Amino acid sequence: MSTTPPAAPALWYRDLISCLQSTLAAALLREGRDPVDALGAHWEFLFKPGDVTSEEFYYPCRYPGDLGRSLAPHHGLSTTWHRPADPGDPLEDVRRALKDGHHPVIAVDNFHLPFRPAYQDVHAAHLIVVYGLDEAAGQAYVSDAMPPAHAGPIPVDALLAAWTSANPKDVQDAFFSDSAIGGRYLTVTVGDAPATTPAFVREVLTAGVAGFEADRDTAGWGGLAGVRDFTTSLADRARAGDARALEEAYPFGWGMQAQAALHAEFLRSCGTRWELPALREAGRLAEHVAHAWTGVRITAAHGRRDPAAAAPDLARHGGRLVAAYEAAVAGLREAAGFL
Amino acid sequence: MVSEVKTGVLPLSVVTMTSLRPVDLTEHWNNRGISAAGETGSGGFNVWRNSFPAEYLPPPGAQVEVDGVPFRFGGPDPAGDNIRCAGQYVELPEGRYDWIHLLTAAERRTEDTVALHFAGGEVDFESLRVSDFWARAHAAFGEAKAFETPVMHYPHHVQPRVEALMWSQRVPVTRRAPLRGLRLPRNIAIHVFAMTLQTPGEPVAERS
Repeated sequence: MSTTPPAAPALWYRDLISCLQSTLAAALLREGRDPVDALGAHWEFLFKPGDVTSEEFYYPCRYPGDLGRSLAPHHGLSTTWHRPADPGDPLEDVRRALKDGHHPVIAVDNFHLPFRPAYQDVHAAHLIVVYGLDEAAGQAYVSDAMPPAHAGPIPVDALLAAWTSANPKDVQDAFFSDSAIGGRYLTVTVGDAPATTPAFVREVLTAGVAGFEADRDTAGWGGLAGVRDFTTSLADRARAGDARALEEAYPFGWGMQAQAALHAEFLRSCGTRWELPALREAGRLAEHVAHAWTGVRITAAHGRRDPAAAAPDLARHGGRLVAAYEAAVAGLREAAGFL
Repeated sequence: MVSEVKTGVLPLSVVTMTSLRPVDLTEHWNNRGISAAGETGSGGFNVWRNSFPAEYLPPPGAQVEVDGVPFRFGGPDPAGDNIRCAGQYVELPEGRYDWIHLLTAAERRTEDTVALHFAGGEVDFESLRVSDFWARAHAAFGEAKAFETPVMHYPHHVQPRVEALMWSQRVPVTRRAPLRGLRLPRNIAIHVFAMTLQTPGEPVAERS
């Protein structure tokens, strides 16, 4: 491999996203795509009982195994999970990907990464981008847009330790530990995408409203009915003392919160570009959903040690979340009428 | 404060005088969100037990000014240095106010509702919107940035390049009636470090 430091990918960050969106954004930006257009056009609610994992990058996939398509079904984004073909030489997969011009997105345990605040302290599952390898120097080049942002070399040994970690249960992190990393990595493909036009936005808004208002969803608890079922179930399980339900709400809610925030930014951006106040207002209503998720997630996170005591506030925040989704869906429908 | 008002025919210069009254919140403190570098484990602003670094904030009890608004900074107190909002009712010095200014921060960006209680028994609900305290957050609701520290305190270390942010946010009092109390949100993501009441601007001169 070359000894010249490779060019670092762009670091793209928003305050409500996770490493899932930031790493996919890096791939989109390499292809000249706008991450807000790609990751913000689609909006849905989906909860898959029993599916939630203790990982920052958990997301309930409508398309099983394909995080990219589930997040951005309109934009040709697709991801595939892999494990190293040769566990004795996991770097071979990275070498091959880099040689082919791809930047693999690898799962890691922050405990082993020198640039992460959790270094040598807390085990937590995370995603980073690998954009170079200098084995002669014993260095891997990695980027991570999540604060404190990093783009640069780390020891290959650290990368391997993080990438192959068992990520054991850690009392300091009930939400992202206890989930083996096991050498997992994502390859990302970015296909053709439609131009962001008023007709396209009308199409995605109409599809979004239809999804939210569907009577049933074969993928799980979907749409507005799914929001009602999830929030009711969360409060019920809290009353019953089920700490696991509260622990799950934090990583699950992160994906939902991020998607609502990016959809809001997408609509605000389009509404500003095209001078459509109704679109900006619909964006603000979607943003309100993102903000309502904070109450649910933080109440659940703090309440996990005494779930029954947290149940009344979880019920209250759940009710506010349902109302926020309902208002937002009405706003989407109204905005679609102006396009 | 002097402003020129266009009336359609005659420009008017209106002079208004407002006063700003910091509110003592000590009895409500229930969270320690600020820690010293030597004892970072004593803080617990968020679920990860991160905290603001005391070294980069005003000393406890200091009066600070943010965008022209004075605040009385919290601490030291065994109960903590801020209110983690859980529906507390805060008695206010009864009077007419236009704005309630808050030094505030949130464990992730959020918005919720405060209840304004008036002397006649009326109650108005208003939004309280607070941006994230975490690194690189922006003022999502147009707040004034009160403090941005260059480090974040973790339970076991001081972390460079992860900033902690505190905001100056305000809540309007639109009812022209004496205010006597405020119910904070039942939302533990929101923390209040200080509160200042702003009285209405009383015209003291008209027509130049």
